[in-house]
Amino acid sequence: MNEQLRFETLAYLGLFLLIAALTILARLLPLSVAADAWPRPDVLLPLTMAWVLRRPVHLPAIAIVLAFLAEDLFMMRPPGLWALVVLFGTEFLRRRHSVVREMNLLLEWALVAAVMVAMFVAYRLGLVIVMTPRPPLDLSLLTLVFTMIIYPVVVLVLQGLLRVRKPATGEVDELGRKI
Amino acid sequence: MPSDRSTEAEFVRPVRRLVLGVMAVVLLMLFLLWRIDSPRIERFRSAVVDTVIPNMDWAMAPVTRVARMFEDFRSYARIYEQNQELRRELQQMRAWREAALQLEQRNAQLLDMSRVRLDPQLTHMTGIVMADSGSPYRQSVLINVGGRDGIVDGWAVMDGLGLAGRIAGVGDRSSRVILLTDSNSRVPVQVQPSGQRALLSGDNSPVPVLEFVESADALRPGDRVVSASDGGVFPPGLLVGEVVQGSDGRLRVRLAADYGRLDFLRVLRSRPAERIEQSGTLLRPLDAAGTPLDPATDQPFAAPDLTPAPGPTVPAVPTPGTPSLPDEVTSAPAVDTAGAANE
Repeated sequence: MNEQLRFETLAYLGLFLLIAALTILARLLPLSVAADAWPRPDVLLPLTMAWVLRRPVHLPAIAIVLAFLAEDLFMMRPPGLWALVVLFGTEFLRRRHSVVREMNLLLEWALVAAVMVAMFVAYRLGLVIVMTPRPPLDLSLLTLVFTMIIYPVVVLVLQGLLRVRKPATGEVDELGRKI
Repeated sequence: MPSDRSTEAEFVRPVRRLVLGVMAVVLLMLFLLWRIDSPRIERFRSAVVDTVIPNMDWAMAPVTRVARMFEDFRSYARIYEQNQELRRELQQMRAWREAALQLEQRNAQLLDMSRVRLDPQLTHMTGIVMADSGSPYRQSVLINVGGRDGIVDGWAVMDGLGLAGRIAGVGDRSSRVILLTDSNSRVPVQVQPSGQRALLSGDNSPVPVLEFVESADALRPGDRVVSASDGGVFPPGLLVGEVVQGSDGRLRVRLAADYGRLDFLRVLRSRPAERIEQSGTLLRPLDAAGTPLDPATDQPFAAPDLTPAPGPTVPAVPTPGTPSLPDEVTSAPAVDTAGAANE
């Protein structure tokens, strides 16, 4: 049984990496050459945050860093900074997953939104400090707002389709310990 | 078992922290390195993209194909709208076509009307440039039409577009054309928008100088320069070129004629305009024989040193139809040959 649980954890990790690869690939695909009037929301970030809040064991920090570093590289962003910011954000949430476990979705959403805003500010600040050209502020803000808005949707998909839920009372991890 | 877990947490937590710190430092270093040495990291990035993206071809191709099919399907759904749109556009195009046809006819009419001869007597004959004596001192060419063809000294020579020079020396079968750039060439010109008259004097450079401009302020680079009939050398209104300002600040003329390719030259058969040489004859009354009469006495003039017989002794009005070449034209080649002799 323990073996099965450990395998399940690894499978979920693989699933996360697969989803990350798919989102990056979807953005790389030459589907729409013309620039959209509205920026698309970032799906990977709310997914990662919701996942970390539900099952922190599935996503080791190194996996998150790798996924977002790859996104940095492929999206032609300054490599490293956004991955670093995401690392801090997810670690902040990971520390509080036991608190969030007691929250309802609305409170959780507010917390995540606050973390997202903090990450956004930190990212822009990092870019300003090293005097790098920044993406236009209005478009980035729109992306941030959309990303915050789709968070509940991502949570629903995560819980409904991928069956990544907050651990119920009495659930045990792969070593048989209570979570 | 709880004790087991707590002992594990005791050594897991510092290791975790260490790993997190190392990752954060690595990411920060990567970002700073990118900021400091952007090309190297960008090369790394492009290398990563190069290795990954072509391998993703198998994934990309079906997805793009499906997306295209979806687009096509959507356009099928919009086929009625498209049809309507195309009909509307066709209607507009018909209107445009009608307008274009009308404009074409109008253009043809205008072209026909604008084919106005400057002077009905201005006809031309074309000669082929046989030789080109391009020395630093002499800018002239030889063409294969000459006195046999009726070429007369002083006639203007054009290439297809603008004035190229004038005849200076006529042989039986050939004639010499002295180009506008020759240092002996002096041609009266008029600068078009301002109407200023000037003298275009060649100085063996490709852009002759405008001399004797009345007010140089009225000229600006780009003005059209046409020939003027002052002195009867040239028929007026032939395109010469446009005003440019040389690097030395002098006003020069960039010639319209293409001196790089002087293959065929057009010699204009110009008949000099009638010249009024005497001041009184126009105003004086004439008798039936055409002799000017003294208005006071109504008698022909009695020249003191001539016999009072009327007719040839009295200076005659130049009869139209038999013009004589003006002195300037006939004397111009003499000046040129003198110049050539000097060289």
